[in-house]
Amino acid sequence: MSETILQLQGIYKNFGSVEAAKNISINVSKELFALLGPSGSGKTTMLRIIAGLETPDKGRVLINGRDVTNLPPYKRGIGMVFQDFLLFPHKTVKENIVFPLKMQGKDESTKEEQYQWVSQLVHLEGLDERFPYQLSGGQKQRVALARGLVSRPSVLLLDEPLANLDRELRKEMEIEIRRFQLELGIPFIYVTHNQEEALTMSDRMAIMRLGQLEQIGDKFELYHHPQTSFVASFLGSTNAMQGEIKAVDNGCIVVDWDGVSLRAPYKDDFKIGMTVDYFLKSEKITIHPPGQKPDDHGRTVIEGRLRDTIFKGQYADYLISLKNDNEIIVSDVPTISPALRNATVSISWPSEAPDVFPADGGLA
Amino acid sequence: MLFFFVLPLLTTVVISFWRTESYTIIHDWNIDNYVVLLTKHTYLVFLGRSILMATAVTLISLIYSWPIAYFIAYAGGRYKLVLVLLTSAPFFTGIILRVTALQQIFGPIGIINTALINLGLKPINAFMYSNFASGMGLVYLWIPFMILAIYLSLLNFNFDLLEVAKVNGASPIKAFFEVTLPLNWIGTAVGIVLVFVPTLAASITPRFLGGVNGALFGNILAHQFGATGTWALGSAMGVVLFFVSIIAIFLVWKTVDLRRSGFTGGDI
Amino acid sequence: MNAVNPGRKLALAGQALLLILLYLFLYFPIFYIMYLSFVENTVWPFPPEYTLEHYINLLTLDNFHQGLVNSLIIGIGTGLLSTLFATMAAIGLLKYQSRWRGLLMIFYLAPLFVAHILIGISSLIFNKAILGLPGNLLSAIIANATYATAFAFLVIVAQLARYDWRLDDVAMVFGATPAKTFREVTLPNIWPAIFGGFFVGFILAFNNLEISFYNLGAIPTLPTIAWGTLRHGIKPELYALASIVNAFIFLILIILYFLLKMGFLKLDIKDR
Repeated sequence: MSETILQLQGIYKNFGSVEAAKNISINVSKELFALLGPSGSGKTTMLRIIAGLETPDKGRVLINGRDVTNLPPYKRGIGMVFQDFLLFPHKTVKENIVFPLKMQGKDESTKEEQYQWVSQLVHLEGLDERFPYQLSGGQKQRVALARGLVSRPSVLLLDEPLANLDRELRKEMEIEIRRFQLELGIPFIYVTHNQEEALTMSDRMAIMRLGQLEQIGDKFELYHHPQTSFVASFLGSTNAMQGEIKAVDNGCIVVDWDGVSLRAPYKDDFKIGMTVDYFLKSEKITIHPPGQKPDDHGRTVIEGRLRDTIFKGQYADYLISLKNDNEIIVSDVPTISPALRNATVSISWPSEAPDVFPADGGLA
Repeated sequence: MLFFFVLPLLTTVVISFWRTESYTIIHDWNIDNYVVLLTKHTYLVFLGRSILMATAVTLISLIYSWPIAYFIAYAGGRYKLVLVLLTSAPFFTGIILRVTALQQIFGPIGIINTALINLGLKPINAFMYSNFASGMGLVYLWIPFMILAIYLSLLNFNFDLLEVAKVNGASPIKAFFEVTLPLNWIGTAVGIVLVFVPTLAASITPRFLGGVNGALFGNILAHQFGATGTWALGSAMGVVLFFVSIIAIFLVWKTVDLRRSGFTGGDI
Repeated sequence: MNAVNPGRKLALAGQALLLILLYLFLYFPIFYIMYLSFVENTVWPFPPEYTLEHYINLLTLDNFHQGLVNSLIIGIGTGLLSTLFATMAAIGLLKYQSRWRGLLMIFYLAPLFVAHILIGISSLIFNKAILGLPGNLLSAIIANATYATAFAFLVIVAQLARYDWRLDDVAMVFGATPAKTFREVTLPNIWPAIFGGFFVGFILAFNNLEISFYNLGAIPTLPTIAWGTLRHGIKPELYALASIVNAFIFLILIILYFLLKMGFLKLDIKDR
């Protein structure tokens, strides 16, 4: 990994009795780093602390090795893209974009040069004299990005930047923002509550919950090897089950889930009789057409009734009712005819597919 | 409304081109009234004084109102409403009763001067019927307008924009002049006009607080309709006053760029 | 949730101090004459010698009753008239999108930008010289209404901007005639605004000197009596009068405040 640009060291922040940050330490290098979490998780507070809009109760913020913890925002030299864009309504596109340069007292030729560079980068040519109310949502987004980047900041912060865009535009901007990050080679720190967005865009990510860091790392790592119940249930489309460990057999455990047996890999702290949470991403399950029964060697195999099929194009979600009155969602290639509604089918998954944790881990 | 507001004003304009002789109006078109007003030294001095006074009172109100309106809108929280109502409540008492009250404070035998005399000190001359005293009085009378106008504007101001400015390198002062003031300029301009216009025409306050030397244009205007009965000249004065107000409004309006007011901004 | 750094705190404290100074500036005179109205020795009232004499003198003052009645007539008349005009204007302006909207708005608010003395003398001239009428209460009410309408209009527009006019459509779809719609749906929703407009119009006209004075000539109102008294040097009766008027206004403001608090009235137009 390349050099660290931004360091958060042991950050604490309370708002009254609400703990918005509890001992948060994060290092970010020249990468796209996502801060993901549900609302109230403290991710926006972290971003505001980096920006200098909040002062931490404890801990330090370092940018390029310089301690900026007590610097006001306007002396930190960072860029930021705000939620709802927050363009200045009384300034034109160009005035909005060169605002940071104006504040730094840059001369006209520098402003012009930087403006030309950034407006080409974000594809905003020809809108110079427009006012924000004359722009479409996508254009506003580009102006907000340009304003964040124009002064070539050492870090760019993005606060739910795509939350107000429609789906098509969001997909387009996700790719664009990645491109900007590669071109500029500075850290982008990206706050979102949308896991899909975080997974698409980031290199690494951190998941926050109730002011605490749940897990931090490579996005594949987090997705496939979550270390907490929360991360396991939060990322992806996950079936959450709970049951008691009935047996340990051949490096595997067998969990009894309301009368259905589930298999999972053995871990050191597992004991027979322990209640565990059993998380299973829906795409790790295979659905088998009626009549076909897979080999149950090293797999969990269950029968159920195909209650409904939700066709999504590239794949389909199958809702399977089990005999214990629970339901499992399976995402698989859409090979099974919707006409087979209510047919009995088999579903199966490899023993190493689920993520299992002792149940007192506390599920959100 | 048209009938009862515009027509009387037009009548005043018409009469200003007639003349009055021994308390009756003679329908005789002439511009003598204006010639007198614009050439006679005394009238110009009074007009100049009124303009100066109105400018000073407006400036003082403006500078004083901004931090107060800002504080109420920004930090008032759930007490916003009480705080702002408290600034405008005295306005409803009516001019004459408030001037009475003011005389008891800033007047020659107001509490401040009586206290000084009782302590064996010299009374403050500024309170002895002076332009200073009437200026204070006028600020007292009209500052609620300024505060209210700026406050109402700030209510619809998105304070988050200040964070944007700061993150982008603006110091608090720069952020104020780059973002806060321009986006609340219409409200401020309305406040300026609402204070300037009545101050320009003030007659009661200077009469009771300003004394003989503190007389302003409004006083001699009132005089024409009182003792001397020279309505035509008085009307001409009214027209002059009206035009000065219009010019002031126009000048203030010139500083407003609607496109840059943020009003058209919708839901940005 | 804003960062409160020391500099910011200092600035806020400074602003709070300015606000307190302003309140002192605004209210000290008012409370001081309330105090004076109860003391014998008004020039240097320390220690005070309490008395109710000024109130008795006020009540027995020549013209006082006549002035009070006239002021009430002008206040109520102006309040009603300006509320009527202002409500119609506000509904017309807000409900029916007109391209003259801006112009109409400026027109309704124009009297705010004309000095009272001008409104006073011009309606005096208009009545006497053109219509040949002597000054009377009606002309005073009309003249006061010109600018009171502007104030009432402001109050009512600010409130009505929050009203969702689609509710009227709903009523009509369910069979209400326009008149019924107004009575059953519109009015119950906007009456606090109308009340606020009336209150503002009433108080302004009740206390008005410059407009009423030129329209009424010798007919007394409380402000003209006060003015006459003040001209001949301050009389303590005035303190009593000012105190009564102030107490009355504060009472109404307190009532209004609680109406606002309970959500019957709203001041800001943010969530339009």
